Amino acid sequence: MIAFEHVGKRYGGRFEALANIDFRVRRGEMVFLTGHSGAGKSSLLRLIMRLERPSRGRVRVAGHDIDRLHHSQIPFYRRQIGVVFQDHQLLFDRSIFHNVALPLEIQGVEHREAARRVRASLDKVGLLHREAALPIELSGGEQQRVGIARAVVNKPALLLADEPTGNLDPQLSADIMTLFEDFNRIGTTVMVASHDLALIARLRHRTLRLHDGRLVADEEVA
Amino acid sequence: MSRESPPSPRGAHTHRPTSGVRWRAWARHHRTMAVDSGRRLLRRPLGSLLTMLAIAIALVLPAGLWLTLDSARLLDAELEESATLTAYLEIGIEEGEAGRIEEALAAQEGVAGTRLITAAEGMAEFQQALGLRDALTRLESNPLPASVVVRPADPDPEAVRKLAETLEGIPGVDEVRLDLAWLERLRHLAELGQRFTLALGVLFGLGVLLVVGNTIRLAVENRRQEIEVVTLIGATHAFVRRPFLYSGAWFGLGGGLLAWGLLTLGSDWLSAPVSALAASYGASFHLPRLGPEGSTILLGCSTLLGWLGAWIAVNRHLAEIRPR
Repeated sequence: MIAFEHVGKRYGGRFEALANIDFRVRRGEMVFLTGHSGAGKSSLLRLIMRLERPSRGRVRVAGHDIDRLHHSQIPFYRRQIGVVFQDHQLLFDRSIFHNVALPLEIQGVEHREAARRVRASLDKVGLLHREAALPIELSGGEQQRVGIARAVVNKPALLLADEPTGNLDPQLSADIMTLFEDFNRIGTTVMVASHDLALIARLRHRTLRLHDGRLVADEEVA
Repeated sequence: MSRESPPSPRGAHTHRPTSGVRWRAWARHHRTMAVDSGRRLLRRPLGSLLTMLAIAIALVLPAGLWLTLDSARLLDAELEESATLTAYLEIGIEEGEAGRIEEALAAQEGVAGTRLITAAEGMAEFQQALGLRDALTRLESNPLPASVVVRPADPDPEAVRKLAETLEGIPGVDEVRLDLAWLERLRHLAELGQRFTLALGVLFGLGVLLVVGNTIRLAVENRRQEIEVVTLIGATHAFVRRPFLYSGAWFGLGGGLLAWGLLTLGSDWLSAPVSALAASYGASFHLPRLGPEGSTILLGCSTLLGWLGAWIAVNRHLAEIRPR
């Protein structure tokens, strides 16, 4: 599903965020990406989302060299990826329902079908009863679940999460991770960047460890 | 026919809905954005009104000048129609002789009509016009020559001047006067006015672009987070641009309507003194009003300018917004 082939990323010609990253993630796998802050986790995710282009090497997603995507194809490429952000990136001027509906609105899904899928998605994260609320009325954990509902409403083949539990207490963090495991169980490829090592160790999934922009460990869990 | 679009040969392919569904979704999004951006303007009524007023003021001046010139052109045509030559005959020519000269003039090519004013008639007109009856009756002989007013077939100044030269060559004609200098001056003035209006129109059109562009730039800045988020989850540039383009068009249309109102009010307010002034010069001239055609052009241009200003602003600023 994801293949990094000797990928390097420099910013401003000097700072080397990533160097010689080489790994593959199979379809349907769940992978943790870990490392100290500044190790390059976010840069790696941004490369997959095609927000950045590699300075060297090649990034292939779903069999395509995404560096060669025409800029007009990029939006359509991004629609295949669900992304969960640490700061959830919800829009505060509209309800939970409309936040989750946003990807479907962008794709022009018909209203009734969109409403059905939004409710299914909110139901999955346990927030169906809050659909009319504004994001500001929700707790941090709930906001993060809305972010997840938005990321999966489109049934993406690949789900990326950047520090999704960054600001949450251990119990809420565990709940969020369980949600990701649920989506992985139905076939979604999941990649979660996190520095919550204790939680990651407990969940027993393959873990990619970054250190100063280098991939220092790739630990498969049997 | 609905069909499943084939996966693109290179690059990612995604589950695409059928073309009919996509078209309906596209039209629906346009409708939604048109209404939504209109509502956004209404949510800040004062700010929106001020922007529209700025647009309206920028439009009123060139539009008003254009209207005035347009009707001045009508006036010009009317004056041209009445452009005549006066051939003064030599002093002392008898009435019978004058009649024959008039016939000779009438027979010339390029002469549409003639009217003889005998020396006596000329004197009578002169006295009446000046109210100098007493002073003039004291003169022993009539100092005025007989004259023939010639209406040229072709009112073009160059043709008229040529005709005047020809007529001057006819025996018995002393001098041919053509009062075209002022007509020509008027025409030059009109042309100057037209160019001036065009230049003003271009400048003020740019002004409208700037006003709308600046407003839209602020709107883009205010919705920066939203733009970043929708870009991250796969919105196309067209999708992001759409609400702003509609805002621009609404601003333009609103400004155009205000300009229309201002023009109508202004023309009502000025019409009485202008007509009176024109009447004092013996012309009938009324300030024109925007007809249906003019109104459509005004509103169309203002809407288009608003849209264009938004387009320029959005494209400039979207390039700067990159999701973090």
